[in-house]
Amino acid sequence: MRSVTRTRRFLKWGGNLLLAVLLIWTLVPFYWMFATSIKKDREIYGFEATLIPRRPTLDSYRRLFVQTPFIKYMRNSTIIAVTTTVASLVFGSLGAYALARLRFPGRAIIARGLIFTYLVPQSLLFIPLFAVMSMLALIDTREGLILAYLGFTLPFCTWLLLGYFRSVPLELEEAALVDGCSHLGALVRIILPMSLPALAVVAFFSFTQAWNEFVYANVLTNSVDVRTITTGLTLFIVEDVFFWGPMMGAAVLATLPPVLVYLVFQRWVVKGLTLGAVKG
Amino acid sequence: MALQAEPKAYGSTVLVGGHALPKRPRVSAALAREARLAYVILTPTLLVILFLVAYPFFSAIYLSLQHKMVGAPGRFIGLQNYAELFRDEVFLRTAWNSVVYTVVAVLLKFVIGLAMALVLDQERRFNNFFRTLLFLPWAVPVVIVALNWRWIYDDLSGFLNNFLITFHITRDIISWLSDPRLAMGCVIAVVVWAGTPFYAMSFLAGLQAIGKELYEAAEIDGASIVQQFLFITVPRLRTIFITTVMLSTIWTATNLQFVLVLTRGGPSNRTEIFPHLAYETALGARRLGMGAAVSLIFFPVLVVLIILLTRRMLREREE
Repeated sequence: MRSVTRTRRFLKWGGNLLLAVLLIWTLVPFYWMFATSIKKDREIYGFEATLIPRRPTLDSYRRLFVQTPFIKYMRNSTIIAVTTTVASLVFGSLGAYALARLRFPGRAIIARGLIFTYLVPQSLLFIPLFAVMSMLALIDTREGLILAYLGFTLPFCTWLLLGYFRSVPLELEEAALVDGCSHLGALVRIILPMSLPALAVVAFFSFTQAWNEFVYANVLTNSVDVRTITTGLTLFIVEDVFFWGPMMGAAVLATLPPVLVYLVFQRWVVKGLTLGAVKG
Repeated sequence: MALQAEPKAYGSTVLVGGHALPKRPRVSAALAREARLAYVILTPTLLVILFLVAYPFFSAIYLSLQHKMVGAPGRFIGLQNYAELFRDEVFLRTAWNSVVYTVVAVLLKFVIGLAMALVLDQERRFNNFFRTLLFLPWAVPVVIVALNWRWIYDDLSGFLNNFLITFHITRDIISWLSDPRLAMGCVIAVVVWAGTPFYAMSFLAGLQAIGKELYEAAEIDGASIVQQFLFITVPRLRTIFITTVMLSTIWTATNLQFVLVLTRGGPSNRTEIFPHLAYETALGARRLGMGAAVSLIFFPVLVVLIILLTRRMLREREE
């Protein structure tokens, strides 16, 4: 018995130590990002560079708002991420309902196609997608970017909702159908209210994926009026010179929306996780 | 899968394939109406799949068989792009790098992610708070992660050199990203930092689904901690291990953002990997056809993974 308590104690303290190491490894980069954003240039570069800001200032943030199109980029990101989320929710619910409840030829193939589509990597698609968008004259438009994002959010959302809708008891819906409710009425009044956790995951997933996306945005857009924050950030590099202060300020602010959404939704997110909801 | 909150609603009567729906008397007109409604409400999803994934996918294959520059009409040249690639030294270098990059990153993410999950599964005050903190990197946009780390690695003013010199650990500046011996390791470290939470989240969910009474019973039988881990924990997490690794392998191998921001493939191609080479070829050198060929060259490996994963995901749902 003695050895068991000793092993227990060892595990407990070993665990605490490991936790401390993991916390440092995880948090130091966040610290550095934030610390840089509140330093004066003198403390950022060269021999006087500091590890801890001596005289914190919000100057970088001021420059960000006054001298750069930062606000415009954030606005574009918001419009694009929110539209992608709403479209994924609406079209995803409709598609999932059809696949979960209605009988028609081709169901099996479409269900399979959804996963397959979701797993095809972006790095394979961005080159031809550039050609497709040029053909449709959608290069450098918000609409084009939203469509491109639906290419990966919609298949996944439909797939996730399909699984959830199936778990809603059929009897409830049948009762409504017998009472003269239409299929779509049953979807809106019975299935959707019972699927709120799944809808939360879908909303979370679409929003963060669209907000964080970079490759498509970089390839498909280039003007200030359309650019999202992820691609706008890289414009603070001029001729290989980095303006680290404002850039880290922008990084802090651009990270806030997905992080806040994560904090609010984390309860549900874990559920959608093992289904491949989250890229890592 | 353990986490899928999906009680089976009506046994095995409804399958993904849609064979075996419960038989109820219905007239065929009603069925036809049902099918029509199904196609109508599926239209947006189908359009997206067809035009934004299927068509681009096949046109990538066709593009790779052409000599095509951005803004100019293409000319069909058969397999010449591929032939040129195989003769290229950079290609061999890139192939090797891509394998090292993917395997090492996935392995490290797995090990650290498992450690993270095991630590968070212990009983401790404020554990929820620690979990939230440790999973934070996962919510940060990848470009921002990469930019921030580029700044951490900065030769003159970055955190690492600054820290090492202030505490007299080293005397000279270390060129993290431009030293050919260090660059790949530094890039992988960033990939691991960003990707570990995903593993930890999946594993932790699996761990929490294992009943504590199993461990108690094993302990009464005299099983050591190591034995408990090997014979209870590992077998129960097996499915989650496999799915997580497969998903992550696809995403790790195809993510070009880390390399693009950190090193652009340098120094002297030491960190060049396929997705970034494709990007540079198609948009830097403006050779769309060749770029498509580069992006397709590692697709056969991925397609095997994708097919296996598709099967797994369908099967797990049916179970």
